[in-house]
Amino acid sequence: MKTFRNLQGPALTLALLCTLWLIVIFGLLALKPSVFHLGTVTTILQFSTILALVGLGQGLVIMAGGAGIDLSVGGAVSLSAIVAMLCLKLGLPPVLLPAVCILAGAMLGALNGWLVNGLALLPFIATLGTFFVYSGAALAITGGAAQAGVPSWLLVWGRGVVMGIPLPFLTLAIPCFALAGLVLLSTAWGRWIYAMGFNERSARLVGIPVDRVRLVLYALSGALAGAAGLVSIAWLGSGRPNIGQNLELESLTAAMLGGIAITGGRGGVGGVFAAVLLLVTLKTGLLQLNINTVWQVGIVGALLVFVLLADRLSQRWRS
Amino acid sequence: MNVVRQFGNGVFSMSGREWSLLVACLLAIVIFSVASPHYATSGNAATVLRNSVELLLIGLGMTLLLAMGGIDVSIGIVMGLAAIAIGRVLGAGGNPLLALIAGPLVGAVLGCVTAAVVVLGRVPAIVGTLGLLGVYRTAVFVLLGGQWLSGLPSSLTDLLATSVLGVPVPALVIAAAYLAVWLALRRTPYGLHLLAIGNSEEKARLSGIPVIKIRFMTFAISGVLTGIAATFYVATYRNVEMTIGSTLALDAIAAVILGGTSILGGRCSLIGTVLGVLLLRILQNGLLLIGVPSLWQPVVTGVLIIGVLGFEAVCNRLPLGRFQRARA
Repeated sequence: MKTFRNLQGPALTLALLCTLWLIVIFGLLALKPSVFHLGTVTTILQFSTILALVGLGQGLVIMAGGAGIDLSVGGAVSLSAIVAMLCLKLGLPPVLLPAVCILAGAMLGALNGWLVNGLALLPFIATLGTFFVYSGAALAITGGAAQAGVPSWLLVWGRGVVMGIPLPFLTLAIPCFALAGLVLLSTAWGRWIYAMGFNERSARLVGIPVDRVRLVLYALSGALAGAAGLVSIAWLGSGRPNIGQNLELESLTAAMLGGIAITGGRGGVGGVFAAVLLLVTLKTGLLQLNINTVWQVGIVGALLVFVLLADRLSQRWRS
Repeated sequence: MNVVRQFGNGVFSMSGREWSLLVACLLAIVIFSVASPHYATSGNAATVLRNSVELLLIGLGMTLLLAMGGIDVSIGIVMGLAAIAIGRVLGAGGNPLLALIAGPLVGAVLGCVTAAVVVLGRVPAIVGTLGLLGVYRTAVFVLLGGQWLSGLPSSLTDLLATSVLGVPVPALVIAAAYLAVWLALRRTPYGLHLLAIGNSEEKARLSGIPVIKIRFMTFAISGVLTGIAATFYVATYRNVEMTIGSTLALDAIAAVILGGTSILGGRCSLIGTVLGVLLLRILQNGLLLIGVPSLWQPVVTGVLIIGVLGFEAVCNRLPLGRFQRARA
């Protein structure tokens, strides 16, 4: 117990998340023992890939402070998937599909960054606006219909499994998190992100290119959303205009649960990764217990509120 | 900038922003009338006004919230929950007077819940209300049990469809709500405190304004107005569907921003919100009539929000804009 109390920051977050995760798993095991086999693990990781990519972008944007938040991620996932599939229909060489998907996402993210930087709009209102533009456009362009015609080699990647681990998770989610963790911990850019999140004024005064970093982070969040769109195409075999539904809420919950402070400057990507796994395990578990899917959004929302309140309480308790 | 600006001190006083909104409304009406033969009919005008009732009430509350530097994205679903409560009272054969109380009551309670999380919990309003949005949405699904609430008795409708001295009841209620909010905003310490908080919460706190009380009250007021909106919703449609209120929060935010209330707080215009609501509903109705699928509506609303804010940002940078700001 004493060691637990001495834990601080990311280590505390990770310890708490692991405890919660074990509680979820044992709870599930007690209620329905038949759930646990390799197939479930694969399913959980498969579902995790999309949320992990989006949650990473969301986490980085929030970490950089300045009231940073990206509410448009869900819309960016849907729209980049749709744009890529429509380009394919218009005669784009299939080899370029992944590049176009990620590029489309990056441009949507860069638009957010420009609204926040160039026009100095509040991030939450700018990305709330683009959220409705992106998700609405994805639905309106397609009339709500899924776009088929994914090249078969992409399906091989999207549905492939190596030792129970889905290929997209292995080749996209894990490298992205490893890279982000490395950049945050051991490069100047990482220091800059923490510094500007902690105190933007002093970051500017010491010469950190705050605006450039912020623009890059919004574009990166968009690009990761594009990558998530790509995963959805490759996995489901079609571009679905509503694939990004509720992702803004889930990615926020993952970032907050992962120990990133809503005010920025505190947290790490390891926590986000653990939080994503926890969230998806919880959701899959509820599904396995035949609990109606309408409960999912409520439980994720309640978790978000709970985490935010708990963060405040713990701060008061410490001071 | 540290002076609380209160242009629009009179009940209906209009400045350049409001006049240009009015012109935009008229312009939109003219353009749509030319483009569609079905547009310029008295029936359609009634439809537009009818569709504006809930948004007007919710928009008044949202004006207060945004002027205070807050926001509530769950407000549409709050209306849904209040509507379910009203529907259950009516469905059980309850007295329509009881149904009249149910809406504002549920709205007030949920407003207090939101306030407890956002204000007492010191959580950023956008994140807190987004979390609550998820919770409320599940609540709507669970309370409805997968079915619409439909075929409700017409007792509430009969009560609200009447006219007093030739003025329909909805118009009277909206006028009363407008007047009440205007009085609170412009003629009481509450309004001054609210705008001061919007300008700078820190400064407001340091100058002894009861920040927490004022913010809590504002969320509760917004909840009550939403509950009244739910009463009109149920009275008009006599059913409650699954997707009730899903775009209302976005519409309300767009209308308030169109109306010239600053999202950075400290400045607001109630008459601007009313004109913003009308312009938004005129556009949505007109686009539908000239054949734009309704799926495009959130796109149009989102573009409006970003366009208006972007335009303001660019204008503020021009030398002329700076001059006007200094003069105001």
